[in-house]
Amino acid sequence: MLARAATGDAEALEMLMTRYSGRVYRLAYGITRSAPDAEEVVQDVFLQIINKGAGFEGRAALGSWIYRITTNLSLNKRRGKRRELETSLDELLPTFLPDGHRAGDRAFLVADWSETPDRALLSGESRRVLEAAIDRLPEHYRAVLILRDVEELSNEEVAQIVGDSVAAVKTRLHRARMAMREQLTRHLGAGA
Amino acid sequence: MTCREAIDVLADFVDGVMPPELVAELERHLAGCDPCRAFLATYRKTRALGAAAGHLEMPAEMRARLRRFLADKLRTT
Repeated sequence: MLARAATGDAEALEMLMTRYSGRVYRLAYGITRSAPDAEEVVQDVFLQIINKGAGFEGRAALGSWIYRITTNLSLNKRRGKRRELETSLDELLPTFLPDGHRAGDRAFLVADWSETPDRALLSGESRRVLEAAIDRLPEHYRAVLILRDVEELSNEEVAQIVGDSVAAVKTRLHRARMAMREQLTRHLGAGA
Repeated sequence: MTCREAIDVLADFVDGVMPPELVAELERHLAGCDPCRAFLATYRKTRALGAAAGHLEMPAEMRARLRRFLADKLRTT
């Protein structure tokens, strides 16, 4: 299919787009958080697929390779942009006393809003808070979050794609989810 | 297990990659700790919300532009 697409075969190109464009777009947008930037990344990724992908024909590694080049191009696109939106995650993580019990200003943020219907949480002000929480994550955290929780890859697959250890992937994922949870709880907790 | 230790292992627990003996220990802690149960419930919900928010469709006009872009590139190479 890749070889045919590289010769301009419209049917092969369409098959490639059907199979991969959605995934590439989701990941590119998830990292860049910008539709124009994601579109440029998608175009660049497909150029690379056509130009360099022939060696992956029929191999399971093709998907991982596509995720890898999408991640790298998206992170490059983000370099130097919108840093001001990304704050230290430390202020969004739970705090504890030396003996492991809860402590600090955020210790009260344990309200259980989990029974709130998804429809309500994914619309209006709650949706805005959720999107802002994702925006505040460092881009390499967002890459892991999308690959794990949206694309549903394993920790091992994600580690291979982002070129880091499984332990680092798990740490980023956990910190990203906790930071998002904290911001949602600040918004929703009072009414829970 | 302390609250800190419980929170530290929630990702593995929620993702189903935790060793059974640690699952049992965490469940014992959760049984006696309301705040950690609330934390777990909202952590799990946050994961689901993040996944739902990330499930975007590529806009149709963008897909059409990609098709034209690639066709043009292939014609000129």
